[in-house]
Amino acid sequence: MQPRIKSQVRCTDGVAGEVAHVIADPLLLDLSHIVVRINGTERQVPITIVSRTSEDTVDLLCSSAQLAEFPLFARENFLTSKEVEIPHLEDHIHVEPGELFVPYPELEKSVPRRRFFTAFTNMMSVLIGLPLIWPVLRFVMQPMYAPFDNRWWKVGNISKIKQENVGVQFIFRKSVKDSVLMREDDKQSWLVKASPDVLKKVYEHGDISFPDNDGNVVWVNKATVPYVAFSGKCPHLGCGYKWRSHKTRGQVFLCPCHLSLYDVAGKVLDGPAPRPLDVLPIRVAANGDIEVIDVEYKSGKSEQVRIT
Amino acid sequence: MQTIGQKIYDFVDERIGLKTLQAKMMNEPIKGGSRWAYVFGSCVVFIFIMQSVTGILLMFYYIPSADHAYDSTQYILHEVDYGWFILSYHFWGSSAMVVMVFAHMSQVFLWGAYKKPREMVWLVGLALFGLVMAFGFTGYLLPWDQRAYWATTVGVEIMDKTPVVGDFLARFLKGGPTPGQMTLSRFFAIHVMILPAALMGLVALHLFFFRSAGPAGPFRGTPEELKAKTDFFFPRQVWKDIVAMATVFLVISALALIEPVQLLEEATPDPGDYHPEPEWYFLFLFQLLRWKIFSGEYGQFLAATGIPVLFLLLLVALPFFDRSPERNIFKRPIALVSWAVVTIGIVLLTVSAIVNREYLD
Repeated sequence: MQPRIKSQVRCTDGVAGEVAHVIADPLLLDLSHIVVRINGTERQVPITIVSRTSEDTVDLLCSSAQLAEFPLFARENFLTSKEVEIPHLEDHIHVEPGELFVPYPELEKSVPRRRFFTAFTNMMSVLIGLPLIWPVLRFVMQPMYAPFDNRWWKVGNISKIKQENVGVQFIFRKSVKDSVLMREDDKQSWLVKASPDVLKKVYEHGDISFPDNDGNVVWVNKATVPYVAFSGKCPHLGCGYKWRSHKTRGQVFLCPCHLSLYDVAGKVLDGPAPRPLDVLPIRVAANGDIEVIDVEYKSGKSEQVRIT
Repeated sequence: MQTIGQKIYDFVDERIGLKTLQAKMMNEPIKGGSRWAYVFGSCVVFIFIMQSVTGILLMFYYIPSADHAYDSTQYILHEVDYGWFILSYHFWGSSAMVVMVFAHMSQVFLWGAYKKPREMVWLVGLALFGLVMAFGFTGYLLPWDQRAYWATTVGVEIMDKTPVVGDFLARFLKGGPTPGQMTLSRFFAIHVMILPAALMGLVALHLFFFRSAGPAGPFRGTPEELKAKTDFFFPRQVWKDIVAMATVFLVISALALIEPVQLLEEATPDPGDYHPEPEWYFLFLFQLLRWKIFSGEYGQFLAATGIPVLFLLLLVALPFFDRSPERNIFKRPIALVSWAVVTIGIVLLTVSAIVNREYLD
């Protein structure tokens, strides 16, 4: 039978007090002490002093004078069994009603040391993590800011364009090196053979120049060339738009994603687009072959921000 | 004579306290008794488990490279025995997940179950909601067909509009200035490794917090009535849960059978005749972006990032400003009307996006 809390404690010479707490040995997984409350003081009595335990009494082998010599119970030196992780501790020990105490290990009592260890652990974690930030960041960022690609791509021949002021789709193959993969992508561009008034709208701010990463001008489109190549990427959110006839506006460039409409000069007629269609650097050879640089701008911006 | 099974059980129990563990799992008192309204969370867990199983199976054949992603997905669909079923189940499972998460969140919202002391459960739940949407977004790219490519292109362009971090975020996801192999690699790593790990951790936390705070129970009834009807998680609630899970399984399987996945053309930066569109559960946002008031740089940011983020922040703040202990939804008119407005709004926007399709050709 295990001593119950509040049981009467009897010494060899009569009643001395009551059981206030019980203490377990965390290694033996068994009771090691009872704490006896006598006139307001609490004393820690080894379980070996207990001779007999009944439902509501605990008999001790010592006298009340001897009992008064046992050490005082210091609460701060103990933890409740709920505050520690000791497997199987309470398989056989049942404390009713109240808490089961286990001793606070000697080495754990110094508070400044605990603080130091917490700080030390955190500091070491930071010291492990810190030198990793830059390499990891560089590792994931490696392909993110590739320099602009200023190669010219042959997209087709002007003989394909039969009419003025009509959008004509040109699909061209572009070879790209994607990490170790050599891939070929189909890209589209829309070309317009512009009449003088449309050309005037396209070049309303003068010649169009194309800088590379350092700001050096790579190419200048001049109004003397009547052909205009538009990037196939909708400046709204990057979808592919088409040349379609519209109920009220006639022939327009229409983006099916968010329904932006552009006229043949690329100016916004309707929809959420923030800027006109992007013009590509274009050069037309003597035999009518058209070449473009596949410049790409950030979508959704009112001004052009080149990304590749 | 003890059976072998019993002996093994006892052996394990003696060492790790299996019986107690089992009791703690199953003997969860449910205030006011088990209900069909409580099955959604369990269904979400079930769908996640099935997504993991089918997802791992798909990885046996899928090759995450721009050269082979499309072909290997077609191979799964047309060559591998029951590949069409596993892939279609995974595909429809993702839709079922979104539907079920919405149902789960609605139930919690309408029952006022986010209120004190369950705020932490609610917060972790919102993070899980974010993860589920991220799962849908990243998984969509992997088949590498036109639908996949364009939904991702537009989706990433939308993120690019976020102030300050947008450009970095978009380039980080794309693995470069334009979409390509690096995008596929990153989406694959995020979809099969980062998100599942994060989800499992947060689900554990969600359940732990839920068990610590306890279930909310019905929003009506006196303590005596609730006490009289209280039962344990097992067996009545478990029974309802398993019936619901079986129903979910049947519905997803039926959808996979009736409407198996069909890929479009292989992804290419030329959309051809394809009209780019995101997965149906992002359609409402997509439609919002078509509105004129959301044109221009600021408008785009507002519709694509601003409003969704604001809405999520509102949900995060919800248990902290809605502090009245009243949980009865019929005595919380603002909550009821808000829920109805948001739900109807999403439905209307989605329907109008679908109707708009017809005008495009």
